[in-house]
Amino acid sequence: MVGTNPHGQAAETAVAAANVPILELRGLEKRYGATHALKPADLTFVRGEIHAIVGENGAGKSTLIKLLTGVITRTSGEVLWEGQPVALATPHEAIEFGINAVHQEVVLCRHLTVAANMFLGDEDVGFGLLRKGEMTRKAQSILDDLGFQLPAHVLLGDLTIGQQQLIATARASIRGTRFLIFDEPTAYLTRTEAAQLFALIRRLKERGVTIVYISHRLEEVFELSDRVSILRDGTLVGTRITAETNETELISLMINRSLEQIYHKEFFPAGDLLLETKNLSGPGFRDVSLSVRAGQIVGLYGLIGAGRSEFVLSLFGRHRKTGGSIFWQGKEVDIRSERQAMDLGIALAPESRRDQGLCINLPVGFNLNLPIFPHITMAGLVPFSADRQRAERQISDLQVKTSGRGALVSSLSGGNQQKIVIGKWLNHGARLFIFDEPTVGVDVGTKAEIYRLLARLLAEGAGIILISSYLPEVYELADELHVFRRGEDVARHAYHAASHEEILSEAIGV
Amino acid sequence: MSTDTKSAAVVRKSSANWLFGLTLLGLLLAMCIVLSLTTKSFMTEANIMNLMRQGSMIAILAVGETFVIITTGIDLSVGAVVGFCTVIAAWLLTHDFSIFATVIITLGVGVAIGMFHGFGIVQMGLPPFIITLATLTSLRGIGLLVTNGATINIVNDTFTEFSRNDFVGLPNLFWMVILVGVPAYIFLHHSRYGRYIFAVGSNMEAARLSGVNVKLTVYLAYTLSSTCAAFVGLLLAARIGVGNAMQADGWELQAIASSVIGGTSLFGAVGSVHGPLIGAFILATINNGANLLNVNSFWQRIITGLLIILIVYFDQLRRRRG
Repeated sequence: MVGTNPHGQAAETAVAAANVPILELRGLEKRYGATHALKPADLTFVRGEIHAIVGENGAGKSTLIKLLTGVITRTSGEVLWEGQPVALATPHEAIEFGINAVHQEVVLCRHLTVAANMFLGDEDVGFGLLRKGEMTRKAQSILDDLGFQLPAHVLLGDLTIGQQQLIATARASIRGTRFLIFDEPTAYLTRTEAAQLFALIRRLKERGVTIVYISHRLEEVFELSDRVSILRDGTLVGTRITAETNETELISLMINRSLEQIYHKEFFPAGDLLLETKNLSGPGFRDVSLSVRAGQIVGLYGLIGAGRSEFVLSLFGRHRKTGGSIFWQGKEVDIRSERQAMDLGIALAPESRRDQGLCINLPVGFNLNLPIFPHITMAGLVPFSADRQRAERQISDLQVKTSGRGALVSSLSGGNQQKIVIGKWLNHGARLFIFDEPTVGVDVGTKAEIYRLLARLLAEGAGIILISSYLPEVYELADELHVFRRGEDVARHAYHAASHEEILSEAIGV
Repeated sequence: MSTDTKSAAVVRKSSANWLFGLTLLGLLLAMCIVLSLTTKSFMTEANIMNLMRQGSMIAILAVGETFVIITTGIDLSVGAVVGFCTVIAAWLLTHDFSIFATVIITLGVGVAIGMFHGFGIVQMGLPPFIITLATLTSLRGIGLLVTNGATINIVNDTFTEFSRNDFVGLPNLFWMVILVGVPAYIFLHHSRYGRYIFAVGSNMEAARLSGVNVKLTVYLAYTLSSTCAAFVGLLLAARIGVGNAMQADGWELQAIASSVIGGTSLFGAVGSVHGPLIGAFILATINNGANLLNVNSFWQRIITGLLIILIVYFDQLRRRRG
């Protein structure tokens, strides 16, 4: 169960399989109107290598993936598949070649079973009827073979996001894939799930599959990849053999900023008590007692599904508590609705941008102002000027890269979307900010901006609850760190009082 | 990116939306011009007034329907509510209620029906399609039961004359469109709850976690839709002079069609007030023109269907490019 790395032979197998180019890019370029999303890039992928691609959000990684999977067509340049120039104009053509992608957000059918999803579009049919039993058996044996302890007969929607990701990968691995692209696959995975995924990736590599691995987590790049390419502002700035480079070099290629500056931690004297819970229980968690003071970051660490998000959703009035009590600035409160929590001075930037955080097909300005419409409403109407000023100030304060407040949120990159999830609460005058996984799928530059923002909020006298599944983040930032496991608050540590290993084993429960 | 290109992009985007509004209006005008050239009777005062009266009622229904569609819902009951409310109005008037009381009570019935839809969706968790389909059939049934299938004649001249009279050169019924349309426009585009309707249609959970009272917003959308329908019921009762539960058959589909032609997305969070209004008058003009050109009325239905496909298809194309 422990997240160790049984495989250490990545480098050796890479050398043997090298030098057989499977896909070659020559001057590949993409423009969207005036935007130069990808400047002419030359890159060769060889058979059986794990090729990591790193870069900040908006550096051109998604553009590259979309070009390789035929989702968009290139402006100029050539793509050679096994030495032959190919058009790669449709996703269908890419799949024919064996080019597949596993996305950060799972794109499968939640209402079908795991087995049905694995064979979707390629069903086992006898006499015109689905052979469900046969498919479930086959799917189960594939999953067992991969070492995933997952049942094939349950509905996909009943699994965690991390487990769904594994199913998506398993699905890609059985479809004659020869070139598999992973886009931030571990963003929602626990360490155990990530270890299972890495094992699968290595197995695919041994079978000669070329893997393109996109991640913001550099330690994964070093753990897994043979070569790494760096993108910055749409330019391919270089390709390195992973064993011959280090984090410092990669980061300096990605941005002009050193590693120490990323975790921006400032210490403030603990102020007055903002929130206290005593034996609080609710759906998904029980018996949680913790307190947050002004000027403090309380970190909640744990595996996905440990009950941290459920705990804060109850604090925010989304779910009713079933036991225990909440004290707000010393007074007992019963928080029944989100609006009530907001009026007390609590803000929540939720875990999932797409599902909980944003109205994706509405404008940037609309999303930023949604929580504060009651404040700027006069005689039932929202004055145009207040609406515009608030939105534009927030866009410039947070340096959101957008064509304007009227642009749809769906047109922004992940990092900029996350800035809006957070930014919509900054106008609200809250005292307690709850950030649930604020940096998932966000590039290093935006991360640093978010951390500086946390410090600014603390300086202004706010308290923060920070949830993260990424240990270094809570470890470096939290003044007090709580470890959650299966709905319970199992341990608490002062800043840097315990080692990573200790905390991890508390979270896993060994 | 310089600020110049930024603002240029914004201008381009918003002007594209305006352009779509103008294209619809242009389409309407083009149809009118063609019809006035090809027929002698189209550009007569009588016909234009008649056209305005015909289009008005669907236009008001379409505005109400649009609120619901923006929340990703659907209200199939509006035609039945219209028919039912003609019965209510006729019954009240024949039982010596004043016109004022009749109007208030009938609108109250509309509010109650809308609240019931809200209850079914929010509290019982029924899909909007189902709950409004259920009221569609039951309201027609109740109306028939109350009247025993008969038609109630309205013998109140002040009431019936209202729909035939004009005010400052425009039919009263058309003024009613303005009476509903202007507040509806201000509500949807400039009020807090108008915005909440969009937010709920875009992402209900995100709206809730932003402090939006989602339940109230859903109640509001359905109540507005049913109230618009009850209002149309009053207008129809005045125009035809009878109360009959089977009137306004299929109007819900015309209202939805007008809304969709006017740029409302059935996937929610996209829509306006002026779009559906123009959409309703486009449909009315097609029917009117087809009558004048002596096109078989069976063909009218087919043409309307094809036109819906065509207009919405081009709208989708435009959105994808934008």
